[in-house]
Amino acid sequence: MVMRLWQPLGLLALIAVAAILFSLAVGSAQLSAVQLWAVVQGQGDALARTMVIELRLPRALSAFAVGGLLAVAGALMQVLLRNPLADPYVLGLSGGASMGALAAMLAGMGGVLISGSAFLGALFSTFLVFGLAHGSGGWTPSRLLLTGVVVAAGWGAVITLMLALSPAERLPGMLYWLMGDLSYARTPWPPLLLLIATCVLLIPLGRSLNVLARGPLQAAALGVDVRPLEWGIYIAASLLTAAAVTTAGSIGFVGLVVPHMLRLLLGNDQRLILPACALAGGTLLVLADTLARTMIAPEQLPVGVITALLGVPTFLFLLYRSR
Amino acid sequence: MFTLANKCMQFGGALGAALLWLGSGIATPLHADNPSRCAVDDLGREVCLHASANRIATLSPGATELTYAAGAGDQVVAVVSYSDYPPEAKDVASVGSHTRIDLEALVGLAPDLVIGWVTGNPAEQMDTLEALGMPVFYIEPRSVEAVADTIERLARLAGTEPVGKQAANEFREGMAALTARYSERDPVATFYQVWDEPLMSVNDDHLIGQVVQLCGGENVFGDQHRLVPRLDDEAVLAANPDAIIAGGMGEENRDWLTHWEQYPNLAAVDADNLYFVPPSLIQRPTPRLLEGAQILCEKLEHTRQKRRGS
Repeated sequence: MVMRLWQPLGLLALIAVAAILFSLAVGSAQLSAVQLWAVVQGQGDALARTMVIELRLPRALSAFAVGGLLAVAGALMQVLLRNPLADPYVLGLSGGASMGALAAMLAGMGGVLISGSAFLGALFSTFLVFGLAHGSGGWTPSRLLLTGVVVAAGWGAVITLMLALSPAERLPGMLYWLMGDLSYARTPWPPLLLLIATCVLLIPLGRSLNVLARGPLQAAALGVDVRPLEWGIYIAASLLTAAAVTTAGSIGFVGLVVPHMLRLLLGNDQRLILPACALAGGTLLVLADTLARTMIAPEQLPVGVITALLGVPTFLFLLYRSR
Repeated sequence: MFTLANKCMQFGGALGAALLWLGSGIATPLHADNPSRCAVDDLGREVCLHASANRIATLSPGATELTYAAGAGDQVVAVVSYSDYPPEAKDVASVGSHTRIDLEALVGLAPDLVIGWVTGNPAEQMDTLEALGMPVFYIEPRSVEAVADTIERLARLAGTEPVGKQAANEFREGMAALTARYSERDPVATFYQVWDEPLMSVNDDHLIGQVVQLCGGENVFGDQHRLVPRLDDEAVLAANPDAIIAGGMGEENRDWLTHWEQYPNLAAVDADNLYFVPPSLIQRPTPRLLEGAQILCEKLEHTRQKRRGS
């Protein structure tokens, strides 16, 4: 049993480490293997060190953390809503975050304030959806899903309005934020620590999540306290998404496709899927971001484009092969 | 909306800590111990260099043009896309676009001075540059005098004061001569078209709006609240300008003007006062603005002559 869990995770971890090393080795500036080795040993010229340690490393770690957070949040949402189409953004979170970020940009605020405003927007949207779905009467996954989708549509309208009213010179920055872009990421530590903490906290919950995935009645019959577990998942997934969106804007697709891909390959055991999502989501985004910043360098592409271009064919292939 | 945001803030004190954490360093001005060259940038920060800048990176097409005008063209080692003037600038290494800079390529060129664009460059990337210890000088000239003044400040940092001073003064004098000649003449109701879809103009605070005024034009959308208001045909028909001046896609394209010919009742169409001014001469805050202003003033003068003739 333990072997069965650790083998795929070990393999995914190896691939993740390889992806990060790859992203440290390539960039628009050509560094030779000798230079890279010198940097690894803590030597090398100052320029190469700056490139690898101060530009590539934080960006690769941010990409890994954001990809992992989005994939885990997606997996949790799919368990919670028991709907294969659920993804971290479906409940209006990215809409709320985008609204917060764009409002900060419109108000002429910079850097940290944009991140803070995006985070507040995401939390506000979370509580809004939660409060409305809770409302009077029961709290069902379909009601939560519908509330979230409608709130998301509302945010979409607000965002379009803001874009239409914003001064022309601010538009590019806003559009790039909406497309998702890791060049805006600052320190990688908050999302990375959150990802690690989440994975550790979810380990003891794996069994309950497995039961919940089969339906709340079965879960209740098997002695799982369904309501607090569902609330916990919702709040956790929201927090993870908010942290990811705040770091790198709204990057679509990772949260939807990575969990499904892994389920097709590994089966639907949450004890395995959740940490696997963290590793595979992170790896996908690290690779996508590396391509985004090198493909047509010095021009930079939005990473969301690459995640979709890489992920869509892979996912369709897996889906076609299964059954 | 921000009240709601504030309410959310009360949901946990931990959030405050999280927000603090999310931020990295806050930009601080560079203060050298024994500075030899200092200038105040358009963020109001004093930027000082130990010696004149030898390797300059310009992060907007306008900054490139101004730096060349300041006589520091030979010191420019990095530009961004669309830096197409002067032609020599096309041969300089590009480090991406002004909205998304390839930081690696930029750092690899080891500039000793980066000329940033206040509202055009992404703040996050500029913060990273400053955290790496690169002196950044932000510019954004919004008036005729600011263009001249920016050239002088760039020349001070680059150690090319004589050339910069001369270029700045030529620009100042040229614009002053245009002002003296045209600004008091009969006002011409003018519509300046920046873009066609969506239809956009400028207000009086915009540099182009200022040029229209100094040519004795009266910008029909001058009192709009936004710097670059978005409009529809109806607004232009209601304003009924005597002259329509448009840029266009590319330097020769008059297509935007033919659009207006479907409204023969417009005063500007009736008197055939539809004029093209090459956008690169008037839409960038650089010394070439003098040439653009010259053309624009002549077009408005042409309009006045037709009016007198009829």
